[in-house]
Amino acid sequence: MSGKKEKQLGEVLIDVKGLCKDFGDNQVLRGITTQIRKGEVVAIIGPSGCGKSTFLRSLNLLEVPTGGQIFFEGVDITNKTVDVDKMRQKIGMVFQQFNLFPHLTVKKNIMLAPVKLKLMTKEQASRRADELLERVGLPDKAHAYPAMLSGGQKQRIAIARAMAMNPDVMLFDEPTSALDPEMVGEVLEIMKELAETGMTMVVVTHEMGFAREVATRAIFIDEGVIKEENAPEIFFSEQKDQRLKDFLSKVL
Amino acid sequence: MNFSERFSLNFIEKSRYKYLLDGITNTLLITIVAAAIGILLGFIIAVIRATHDRTGKLKLLDLICRLYLTVIRGTPTTVQLLIVYFVIFSSVSRPMLSAFIAFGLNSAAYVAEIVRSGIMSIDTGQMEAGRSLGLGYWQTMGYVIIPQAFKNVLPALTNEFIVLLKETSICIAISLRDLTYGTQLISSQTYDYMFPLLAGAAIYLVIVILLTFLFGKLERRLRQNER
Repeated sequence: MSGKKEKQLGEVLIDVKGLCKDFGDNQVLRGITTQIRKGEVVAIIGPSGCGKSTFLRSLNLLEVPTGGQIFFEGVDITNKTVDVDKMRQKIGMVFQQFNLFPHLTVKKNIMLAPVKLKLMTKEQASRRADELLERVGLPDKAHAYPAMLSGGQKQRIAIARAMAMNPDVMLFDEPTSALDPEMVGEVLEIMKELAETGMTMVVVTHEMGFAREVATRAIFIDEGVIKEENAPEIFFSEQKDQRLKDFLSKVL
Repeated sequence: MNFSERFSLNFIEKSRYKYLLDGITNTLLITIVAAAIGILLGFIIAVIRATHDRTGKLKLLDLICRLYLTVIRGTPTTVQLLIVYFVIFSSVSRPMLSAFIAFGLNSAAYVAEIVRSGIMSIDTGQMEAGRSLGLGYWQTMGYVIIPQAFKNVLPALTNEFIVLLKETSICIAISLRDLTYGTQLISSQTYDYMFPLLAGAAIYLVIVILLTFLFGKLERRLRQNER
């Protein structure tokens, strides 16, 4: 067991209360309530279409909730008066499809937001980018364009880009689902290292190995609600919910 | 008259080549100013329309833009030019200004739809990525979406500016001394149509080839990062 899991959990970073999301008649989230504490690594699993991605995307308002509240660092971000852009600067996001900016070099991808938002000077951002490229193991790709990279490399750069903003929490939306199997490992390795630094992470994933090894908590979402959540060692060994049992028996 | 005598009569005598030179100047000037207006206004309209298409916001502005596009694209350019020259500037004779405005407003409508198609072709994930980093909507538009859209629509924009250049030849309707009108002024003095017109056609052709070459070069430069 890693040292991280034994560590005392910090204060509540994200507090979700009765979160609902409808797309027309389609109720995707039907009242999700949970808390994410500083330093936690939360793995969210569930069958496709269960609402797990919608839940994650609600946390930085890429999906606007139709009901309930989300408090981020004590502020209700579902309140219309909240400065969404300011709030998002503190919430990093990594997408399934990487979404790197194809017209910019790797380094400029990383530097764009901190520089344009005037959080860093060009020199500071450049140093930070070099540091992050070192950390994700791709210092030689600084001047490459995204099209020249493999999927795994793109995702590592996407992680570095999100990290450049020095976020308080990182959201991962199926970060390895679009990758060729041989590239999954390198991305998970980076995520594991990130978790070991104490970064708060919320990860929607199908990688049960990662959830078991790295996560401090696993959440099973089905039919728009949390059916079960627990520490991984319990989550994967003794399930109360029949749907979770069925789901795990299929994927494990 | 042999070839060199006809050439001399049409272009050398009484410095008639100057009609062509002045014509080229005016044609290029109108094209450049109109293209500048077209790009500026066209991009603004495109961004408004695309924003409405994607987010449902800017309803009123979108309506105004749609009305503008309908009117401009629904009426002939010649009629628009005549309206600007004879109706809007009825009390003063301002042929160049009229041409700038008429062609600029006309081109904007076509540029707008070209650029909008470019913006709509960019994956929504790009906007989400920009926004998730904390960039605002307009910042993401400016730094992420537009640069990619511009690259994608450059061939279509090249096309639009070629059409614009050639369409300025209708300036003859308001007696503006552009390249085409220059050829007619020579013909009216020398009673020779073939030489001036072929010369005019050749000049248009050369300008278009140059324009195509330059835009092609720009496009190749912008596409470097795709390899």
